[in-house]
Amino acid sequence: MASAVPRAAKRLRLTNTPGYVCTDCRRAFAASTQPRLQQQPPPQPPPSQHVGQTAKTTHFGFETVAEELKASKVRTVFSSVASSYDTMNDLMSLGIHRLWKDHFVRSLNPGIRPTPPPPRPPPPPPQSQRILDIAGGTGDIAFRLLDHATTTNRDPHTSVLISDINPQMLAEGRKRCLSTPYHATNRVSFLEANAEDLSAIESSSIDLYTVAFGIRNFTHKATALREAYRVLKPGGVFACLEFTPNLANPVLNALYKRWSFGAIPLIGQLVAGDRESYQYLVESIEKFPSQREFAAMVRETGFLVPGDAEGGGWEDLSMGIAAVHKGVKPV
Amino acid sequence: MSLTPMALRSVLRTPTGLRPLLLQAPRALYHSYEHAQPPPYREAESAILSSAFTYVPTHGFTQEALTLGAKDAGYLDISTNLFPKGAFELVKYHLTTQRLGLKDRIQFPDGQMGVGRKVRSLVLERLRANADTGVINRWQEALALMSLAENIPASLRELSALSDEIWFLSGDISVDTSWYTKRASLSAIYAATEVYQTTDKSTDFKDTEQFLDRRLEELRVMGGAVGNTLEWVGFQGGALVNLLRSKGVRI
Ligand SMILES: C[S@@+](CC[C@H](N)C(=O)[O-])C[C@H]1O[C@@H](n2cnc3c(N)ncnc32)[C@H](O)[C@@H]1O
Repeated sequence: MASAVPRAAKRLRLTNTPGYVCTDCRRAFAASTQPRLQQQPPPQPPPSQHVGQTAKTTHFGFETVAEELKASKVRTVFSSVASSYDTMNDLMSLGIHRLWKDHFVRSLNPGIRPTPPPPRPPPPPPQSQRILDIAGGTGDIAFRLLDHATTTNRDPHTSVLISDINPQMLAEGRKRCLSTPYHATNRVSFLEANAEDLSAIESSSIDLYTVAFGIRNFTHKATALREAYRVLKPGGVFACLEFTPNLANPVLNALYKRWSFGAIPLIGQLVAGDRESYQYLVESIEKFPSQREFAAMVRETGFLVPGDAEGGGWEDLSMGIAAVHKGVKPV
Repeated sequence: MSLTPMALRSVLRTPTGLRPLLLQAPRALYHSYEHAQPPPYREAESAILSSAFTYVPTHGFTQEALTLGAKDAGYLDISTNLFPKGAFELVKYHLTTQRLGLKDRIQFPDGQMGVGRKVRSLVLERLRANADTGVINRWQEALALMSLAENIPASLRELSALSDEIWFLSGDISVDTSWYTKRASLSAIYAATEVYQTTDKSTDFKDTEQFLDRRLEELRVMGGAVGNTLEWVGFQGGALVNLLRSKGVRI
């Protein structure tokens, strides 16, 4: 009961916060709520705006903007909302994004189980993994990864580097870290960086690269993939959790589109007083490649895609509202 | 192509509604000679799985064996993400490699043996591979993994493929309508005998051999009657589950 008070206060504050929106959740929210709000017909993507796609422009949602502008526009979307980020996630997804994230982490199984000591000393040096959580935001994935390594695999050494383009998000992550068992250890560190340029990180130094609900915001996804490939050790794993542009079932998909384009920006306006950010997030999902296309991009980067032989190469979550993609860097 | 008397009998015993199915059944024969199959595993996968397999006798069909194999092959702990099905991938590896390797384990002298004797030898040879690779003591774990809902389709596919391979290697290449029956009966016999093998304490699996002979005799007596066979397969399926349960496998 007592803890409900600060949470409620936080939520109240939230309603006045302009700005942020977590993308992850909008869809889950839409998929799991009964229609209550007035629906609007889905706007058609204006095709005329795609004219003259020179190398210098990119998509910001359905808008075409100069490339240099996109990163800063994305930053604005994710700025000033950092402090309400996690509450907002819960509010928007009704908790579903947590299940996805839990599944994502469990399937990756980070951490190294201690091997029984050999009969004769010296005992082997403790083994650990170095994980890089890209677009890590406030560390929602990072702390789950550490928890799994620690509790499930009894690995007290594996560490995570949380990286994000947005310093406010990282500041929030730092604050959050203080309330975790990891704050007094060297298992969590932070790096402000654009995922397309990880020059601060050495080549072949990372065991596991994760990116959850981040990659669709990147201007050059292929460049980010190449950076992921570079920083991973041979045998290292790339793993991505992201919304999908279309559900496999056409009927659900049509319903879903009405929701995401109609209701969600409206919810954004009502809850956060910021319709535009929400609109961007919905549209950025629409612009993201299909599972098949994205799996092909991962493969073209040089990764071995698990499950390729069975004709898939990704895992759909909740009827394909989101999907997990993985790739292993060959030795 | 004309129907053999036996096949004809089995068609006539089938309910009228199902007969067209039997008669039109395409012979989707699938075995290692007929098609140039793509290699079943990519290089990295073979490297990891073959090293991991050497840990099965000591570590079982487990994620741990997979991880140890990955490290031996120069990969990392985390690289086992290459195998979405985890430990079951090790089971599949054994099933696939031993099915494909069967033709090299056994050669028949020309014209000496009938199809029936050859089938018997092939089944025994395939079972012997479970012992030779040292996984027989771990095979109940494998059966438990195979019985998990998400793994059943792949396991049955492998079993059918093995059955086809055995019929093919035995020289039974006749295209007739009893093909589905034969596949089903041999699959059932093989599955039951393999379960029996996991509990066999006799020397050289003598008891397993006798068990197999009794099953083959039943099949011979019953002929290729579709109805009977399916009933029988159902019965064997039940027996298999009971046997596994009695061994403490939770299915
Ligand atoms: C929806 S949040 C996801 C946060 C976290 N991974 C989670 O699942 O809760 C998306 C994050 O991507 C970050 N981001 C956007 N573009 C980026 C880029 N080019 N490089 C690195 N991070 C970026 C944003 O700052 C934001 O924190």
